[in-house]
Amino acid sequence: MDMLLQALAQGLLMGGTYGMVALGMGLIYGVSSIVNFSHGDFLSLGMFLCFSLYAAFALDPYVSLVFVFPALAALGALVYRFLIRPIVGNHLLMIIQLTLGLSFLLQNGLLMVYGGQPLRTPSFMESKLLILGDVVVRMPLVIAFAASIGMAGMLYFVLTRTDLGRSIRAVQQNAKAAALMGVNVSRVQLLTFAFGIALLAVAAVLLLPGTPIHPNQGMRYTVITLMTVVLGGMSNFAGILLGGLVIGLAEAIGTIYVSGVSGMILPYFIFVLIMLFRPAGLLERQG
Amino acid sequence: MLEVVNLTAGYDGVPVLHDVSLNIGEGELIGLLGANNAGKSTLINCLSGTLPARSGRLLFQGVDFTRMQAHEVVELGIIQVPEGRLVFPQMSVRENLLMGGISRRARKGRARAIERALELFPKLKERYSQPAGTLSGGEQQMLAIGRGLVAGAKFLMLDEPSLGLSPRFVQIIFQNIKQLHQEGLTILLVEQNLSLTLAHASRCYVIERGRIVVQGTSAEIKDDPRTRKAYLGL
Repeated sequence: MDMLLQALAQGLLMGGTYGMVALGMGLIYGVSSIVNFSHGDFLSLGMFLCFSLYAAFALDPYVSLVFVFPALAALGALVYRFLIRPIVGNHLLMIIQLTLGLSFLLQNGLLMVYGGQPLRTPSFMESKLLILGDVVVRMPLVIAFAASIGMAGMLYFVLTRTDLGRSIRAVQQNAKAAALMGVNVSRVQLLTFAFGIALLAVAAVLLLPGTPIHPNQGMRYTVITLMTVVLGGMSNFAGILLGGLVIGLAEAIGTIYVSGVSGMILPYFIFVLIMLFRPAGLLERQG
Repeated sequence: MLEVVNLTAGYDGVPVLHDVSLNIGEGELIGLLGANNAGKSTLINCLSGTLPARSGRLLFQGVDFTRMQAHEVVELGIIQVPEGRLVFPQMSVRENLLMGGISRRARKGRARAIERALELFPKLKERYSQPAGTLSGGEQQMLAIGRGLVAGAKFLMLDEPSLGLSPRFVQIIFQNIKQLHQEGLTILLVEQNLSLTLAHASRCYVIERGRIVVQGTSAEIKDDPRTRKAYLGL
């Protein structure tokens, strides 16, 4: 029972961050119809940048966010402007190939620079624990959850109460009509992509303390994010957050009861199950 | 007010419009008639900047806007109410109207403009918080026109406003169009519905396979045998 409570706590907390990352990917997909297969690798890049900032300046990851956020935002904007925009409108497979290629580029680039050994980035938070009754959770995880929910809340506010947010939703729902209203559609698409990537800097900083990193981890995050977005019905805000919690829970419960790699199968299993019965997404109206 | 000079345009290398020229004076209500796929929507999309012109010039109040992008054209005051309405389905009526005023020029007077649009279309007030996708075709058309008004249109282009509407709503919509025209709005009406357009427009152009084949006052157009030919291929 204790183990289950532990798994639940951990899963929910982790799920919050998965949800936030997935919101970024979902936003990009909704606005530009791009499935970014390199999403997890940008997250990975963010983590490695934090590591380097620690190695060079002894900066704690939470502090590094100030530098990594704009760095990833700028990188995202450049990637969109020069790599992705030229082929938007072409066959979906071309875009998938591009982002997959980007994924390999990032992974191997990181491998070249940092080598294949797992690296640890110290943080003042990493060994702090939160103890509630019989449940022990690492403080960084609690912070990650709080920050992720906070970001999601902020994103929700921007999307529903500001003109920029309405423009983003408008482009998502009907890009042509949005253009006819005077929305600069390509600028919205660029900003959304850059923001989705910059959000990964936040996730990187939140997930980094206490986690050893290695260059190949990107794909794992990409797959988790993809599953979360699909569970959420691709563009349903609440659905994606809920999907994150589901995946986080499935992962935690799976690994607590079955150790090692086999435990990680549970999220995929749950994913397939849910897709069988609710193919349009957790909260979407079916049919 | 608006001048189109020798416009040629098309999709994916296939030309649809050939050397189209037309002229719209301030305060006029002009009809653009033609059968399906004659090039009416292509022309409107060129004017809106959503389709690039291959050659020719587009002038609005003396300003050459041929190369402008869609959002820049909106800032000039050229507003399209597209075929099929194209409302934002998951956004409420209120949000759709807000989006109408998203351009820099329209944002200043947006609240007042929305009030005006609601006065013109009281039905929209009833449905203010409903998602636009749940509205009927006629209500969506009202919303689409309302959106165009909030955008501060100096020149309004309506692409097939009667399409898919019940006869009762067609009447209502056209009454509203007439009223807007009487208040001084310059309007280009693209319609397959011949009689309705002839009844409201002072002048018309008839387009057939990408070329203007007939032009003149509504009375002249009505009796011209070429109009019938353009529509029915007889």
